[in-house]
Amino acid sequence: MALPSDTDTPRLAAGCRWGGGTEQDRVILYPEGAIKLQGTGRQVLERCDGNRTFGEIIQELQKEFGKSDPEKIRADIATFLEQLQKRRIVDY
Amino acid sequence: MNPLAVIAEITHRCPLHCVYCSNPLQLAPTDSELSTGEWKQVFEQCGKLGMLHAHFTGGEPLARADLTELISSARCAGLYTNLITSGIGLNEQSLKALVDAGLDHIQISFQDSCEDAANWIAGAKAHAHKIELSRAIRRHKIAFTVNLVVHRQNLDHLEEIIAFIEQLNPDRAEIAHTQYYGWALANRAALMPTRVQVEKAVAIVAEAEKRFAGRIRIDSVIPDYYAKFPKACMGGWGRKLMLINPSGKVLPCHSAEVLPEMSFENVREKSLRWIWEESPSFRRFRREDWMPEPCRSCERRGEDFGGCRCQAFLLTGDANATDPVCSLAPAHNIVECALADTRSQVGAPVSSATSFVQLQKLNQDLWTYRTNPK
Repeated sequence: MALPSDTDTPRLAAGCRWGGGTEQDRVILYPEGAIKLQGTGRQVLERCDGNRTFGEIIQELQKEFGKSDPEKIRADIATFLEQLQKRRIVDY
Repeated sequence: MNPLAVIAEITHRCPLHCVYCSNPLQLAPTDSELSTGEWKQVFEQCGKLGMLHAHFTGGEPLARADLTELISSARCAGLYTNLITSGIGLNEQSLKALVDAGLDHIQISFQDSCEDAANWIAGAKAHAHKIELSRAIRRHKIAFTVNLVVHRQNLDHLEEIIAFIEQLNPDRAEIAHTQYYGWALANRAALMPTRVQVEKAVAIVAEAEKRFAGRIRIDSVIPDYYAKFPKACMGGWGRKLMLINPSGKVLPCHSAEVLPEMSFENVREKSLRWIWEESPSFRRFRREDWMPEPCRSCERRGEDFGGCRCQAFLLTGDANATDPVCSLAPAHNIVECALADTRSQVGAPVSSATSFVQLQKLNQDLWTYRTNPK
């Protein structure tokens, strides 16, 4: 499997969705499990709506985290999405 | 600490008769089943308890005419809904109704890749329908798992089984070694794999995991008789899950009813919260105070919790014993004896028959098929 490219449109995989009780407790529900996402992870996945491209998501987050190295942001997010893709939680 | 998931065993009725069924030998009678309204109240309580997943199982959940309504009520209560099914009783139309009602995930159990062998193990002609249904499932945006239970009679063609799973195109596959409770324990001599089969299987599954990475996630359940340490059964007694049987009895696992001198609460009489937090049955093995040696001073006690209480009772007669699959257990020789038995040859090979009825005839005394409740 490959890392996402700029034109890919990351989205939650079939049968994966947001759930959980309150706004703070939001989790991604998937077969046999759930992940609680906070901070950057959550900001990334909330943008994985199947409309935004990976390039657009990166741009938005690079703006958000202006002080950090943009290339490091790109690399970290790409690896994060690749891991979730292996677990069949994200498709792109 | 909240429970994470409910296992809703909504009926013990089933059109299949799988020889390794995890249901208890003593099945819940049909006239004792909870009503639609009672199940709806259960799911509301599950949501309020902070549970995340509802696993619909049986028996065959589709044997209940109100399944769509029950899925809908679980989803409304905030739960992620999973249907564990043989698919018998489901067609394109009723599948769509389930998806529309909020079904998130469907898990179809197959018995083998070869049709005759699959029908022979299930004791029913079901295999072809499941393949057809799998194609229909992929037309919906829900998660799809293929579950395949492996054992002595099908492990020799595991590579074919994995190729079969691949062409069904699921998101996830469970390659589950048989666990010896209920009907599987009664049929253990015919189902227990040899050490060579197990070792080969581990290598084949590891190779498939690599090949399928990013396409099909494989979860494999290891055969605990061959493990060095026991499994953390259900993530520990009363630590993660609540199982509700067709009659409303609330159990910490599939087979807890076999334990003597224990009584379990019923949702008709007590709230789920009270059962989780206060009931003697859920508290019985939750902590470490019941543990004997070598568990009590074992550094793994926080990982495997002394293993499975039901297995300890079923194999040693003492529910407080260390799970005998543990290599450190005083009663480990019981497991070693069971494994030594696998050296004797059992079962006519699948290739020797040309139909599933013939396979049944050739292997008449090999095992007992699961029956149906009264």
